[in-house]
Amino acid sequence: MEQQEENLEQDQEKTSASAPSRSIWSGSITIGLVNVPVKLFSMIYDKGVSFHFLHKTDGQPLKYVKMCTKDDKIVPWNEVVRGYEVAKNEYITFEKAELDAVRPESDKRIRVSKFVDYFSVDPIYFDRTYALLPDKSKDAYTLLLNALQKTNKAGACRITLRTKEYPALLHPYKGALVLTTLRYAYDVVDPRDFEKLGKLEEPQKAELDLAVKIVKDLSGEFDITEFKDSYMEKVQELVKQKAKGEKITVTQTPEVEVKGLMVALRETLKQLEKK
Amino acid sequence: MTDDLDEIGKLTKVKLKNLDKCFYPDAGVTKAHVIEYYVTLAPKILPIVKDRPLVLTRYPDGIKDAQLGKTSFFEKNAPGGTPAWVKLYPIYSPTSKRDVNYILCNDLDTLIWLANLAALEIHMPFSTIHEINKPDLLFFDVDPEPPATLDDAAEVALQLKDKLLALGLTPFIKTSGKKGLHVVIPIEPEHSFEATRAFVHQIGIELAKNSDLIVSEFKDTKKPGKVFTDYLQNSPMRTMVIPYSLRPTPEATVSTPLEWSEVQKGLNPTDYTLFSVSKRTSNPWKEIFSKRCKLEI
Repeated sequence: MEQQEENLEQDQEKTSASAPSRSIWSGSITIGLVNVPVKLFSMIYDKGVSFHFLHKTDGQPLKYVKMCTKDDKIVPWNEVVRGYEVAKNEYITFEKAELDAVRPESDKRIRVSKFVDYFSVDPIYFDRTYALLPDKSKDAYTLLLNALQKTNKAGACRITLRTKEYPALLHPYKGALVLTTLRYAYDVVDPRDFEKLGKLEEPQKAELDLAVKIVKDLSGEFDITEFKDSYMEKVQELVKQKAKGEKITVTQTPEVEVKGLMVALRETLKQLEKK
Repeated sequence: MTDDLDEIGKLTKVKLKNLDKCFYPDAGVTKAHVIEYYVTLAPKILPIVKDRPLVLTRYPDGIKDAQLGKTSFFEKNAPGGTPAWVKLYPIYSPTSKRDVNYILCNDLDTLIWLANLAALEIHMPFSTIHEINKPDLLFFDVDPEPPATLDDAAEVALQLKDKLLALGLTPFIKTSGKKGLHVVIPIEPEHSFEATRAFVHQIGIELAKNSDLIVSEFKDTKKPGKVFTDYLQNSPMRTMVIPYSLRPTPEATVSTPLEWSEVQKGLNPTDYTLFSVSKRTSNPWKEIFSKRCKLEI
């Protein structure tokens, strides 16, 4: 408990997120016949602001139900099948068991096929980074980490997380081994395929010189801590105020006028009834 | 506002959504206005569209940039999520090799549901499900090619009216909501589309013979300053916008049924908009199906 409070204190100063205590995967890095046992930890948080939906009148949390779009009846799970849309409004259906049967299972291996220059991998493919920590023995782990640091290389590898296989990059980061999963080539758009981009004309030399000068004047070191989610900060400020019981005035967008619609509806129903 | 919404919820089965969405930015028309409009006009619309498989043009984001074709789409097949109480009518489509489930709008809730789908424009065929291949309406699309104007179209429509009256037929007229006029004649459903199309074409040919203004052939439609009496829509599952359908124009114009006395010089489509038409008390097409003519071909 004391330890936790201390951590909270530290978080105020620190610009990075706090380290999780539980691993999400364990297995081995395999390079040929060599095995390095490791545990995988989350390294990325998606903070942002999240809210729960409550019932306005009694404050109770709301739950989601699956409803049939045809009769608006709630559908129990045992009546749900998965539909793959083959054409607009045409589906091929699957039972969950059918899909589970073909899912890849994690083989508990991070299989390194070759070592590549870390900077030769286009960052556009980087997906999500996980920390790798040594499991049981630290020797093999330290050896691999040092070898990669010395050669400035990264291991191109494959890993199956939950039920999906990812390409990944194994590389040193701040004195530890980390694994960054990669996106598949077919999941990334080539900007040249945007017709709107079209063929770009060469700019005039004088214009280009000026533009280059502006870029140079504004050049500096990149510092991620300069960026803040201002919406999240404002919401957190509001939460603090609300928790203290302060009244918050919200400027509302004007509501849509539906009185005319209601009156028209009543009038038309009356007229149609007469017939 | 919430009280009104609760009240609305009790009056219709349709769960209305995004009522504050702007559909016609220039005219300041929101989705709430559009639904209110169709509700107001429902007593005039429902008897005419009854049992006709409808085709929709939906504008989920309103008519802004609608001309790009990216923010609107045609819909024949009832969309996913169509409630069970909406009546559907399947017609086999040889091109897509399957049944297309057309929507029938026979009650107020379905009309509200269509408006809620942002189906600003609703189209109907010239036959009903009772005799789907035998038209019960003849249709003349009186379409002026600039610099011909709506005034020219009105002149042609009046000539057409005289011709039709002389044949013992009872024509009804509406604005298209854009630049043209639509003339329809209710008939007993006993002929094929081929026969009604030929009949409508023949009338056009005869009118064109005696007028420099009128052209009767499709190839002449782009001749500047001419008015084309289009007969081609008289075909199975070809359609016209329903009477009182909104159009995707900046002013939120309406395809408005007119009394023949209103068809004269100075007729202006932008006089007939969502706001003005919902205040009109007259119902020029009220008697349309009690005046079916027997067409002798």
